[in-house]
Amino acid sequence: MIVDPQWAQGVCEGVHAAGSRHVVYVPDNPLSHVLRILREHYPDITTTLATREEEAFGIAAGLYLGGARPTVMLQSSGLGNSLNALTSLLVPYKIPALVVISMRGDAGEWNDAQVPMGRAVRPICDAIGLPHATADTPESTSETVRLVGQTAFGTRLPGVCLLPRRLTVPSTAPAPELRRGQASA
Amino acid sequence: MNRLEATHLLVSVLEDEPIVASLGHPAYDLFAAGDRPANFYTWGSMGLASSIGLGLALARPDIRVFVADGDGSLLMNLGSLATIGWTRPSNLVVIVWDNGEYGTTGGQDTATAHGADLDAAARAMGVTATVTVSTAGAFGAAIARARVEPGPWVIVAKVAESAPAVKPPLDCVFIKQRFMAAIGQPEAATRGGGA
Repeated sequence: MIVDPQWAQGVCEGVHAAGSRHVVYVPDNPLSHVLRILREHYPDITTTLATREEEAFGIAAGLYLGGARPTVMLQSSGLGNSLNALTSLLVPYKIPALVVISMRGDAGEWNDAQVPMGRAVRPICDAIGLPHATADTPESTSETVRLVGQTAFGTRLPGVCLLPRRLTVPSTAPAPELRRGQASA
Repeated sequence: MNRLEATHLLVSVLEDEPIVASLGHPAYDLFAAGDRPANFYTWGSMGLASSIGLGLALARPDIRVFVADGDGSLLMNLGSLATIGWTRPSNLVVIVWDNGEYGTTGGQDTATAHGADLDAAARAMGVTATVTVSTAGAFGAAIARARVEPGPWVIVAKVAESAPAVKPPLDCVFIKQRFMAAIGQPEAATRGGGA
């Protein structure tokens, strides 16, 4: 039986408390918990899968034009895929979204290919003018997500809530060395 | 039929239905054909017109949403057809102005000039209401059907480039707020934090 992690429950509570009933997403492993909890416990929240993150932001923009408060969920690697949508649609038109980003490339990362974008996420958000906050503990995640959403929808600008790996990856996960294959020299 | 003529026809057949226009020439021609508050002109985000239309159609099942996309733009976001084919909003109508070229950037060929078939692509992704038209009569008939028959629709309109000479308003926030008010969703109503 899968136990719902507290941080993931907090994300769902925060999204709901921010008044969002539409989640557009490109999945990743930690977000699978959030998506499962939404499906099982939040029948009033609709989830829509996008084929890539830029598309997700386009759908979110349309949802907002129709009166909804959209949430977009993605892995940090997908922020790169999203930039043209953010900088030439959501930001200039002042179209808000609650953006929940599951981090890769931060402390605990084992995959080199995730590190450059993981390191760049906050500078990119700063460069394009998106406020961001980090959910530090399972207990505070709900409130952080809610507040980011409140500011996003109040000020009409996408707001980013980052979910670091130290939050989303259980400490019982196998050490990265054990998961990495041995290449021949 | 060129794109401006087809756009005139589209606007004349529609009443107050919203139209989301892809950036560049599709948006310019929509403005030239008749500016209306229910026009959402994009100034960037190439490829996302059909995605914006999809989101709007999902949020507002009570209205029929039209998208004026371009072949080059849709080719940039082909995954959108898969999402439309999955979610199947019956109130979404995606019109693709297919001139076989990147008209806004100097007329370079698109893949549709070399065999790519966006109607077939839509069908392959589960969109069943599709049609390809190349005359004003057939286009007008397709629009008339798409206004009332269940979608989602993808209408590929083979058009000639029409070199527009005018541009829509540049103020993005003005475009958005006028559009939202026109579809009965004034932005002030969505303002504020909390639930």
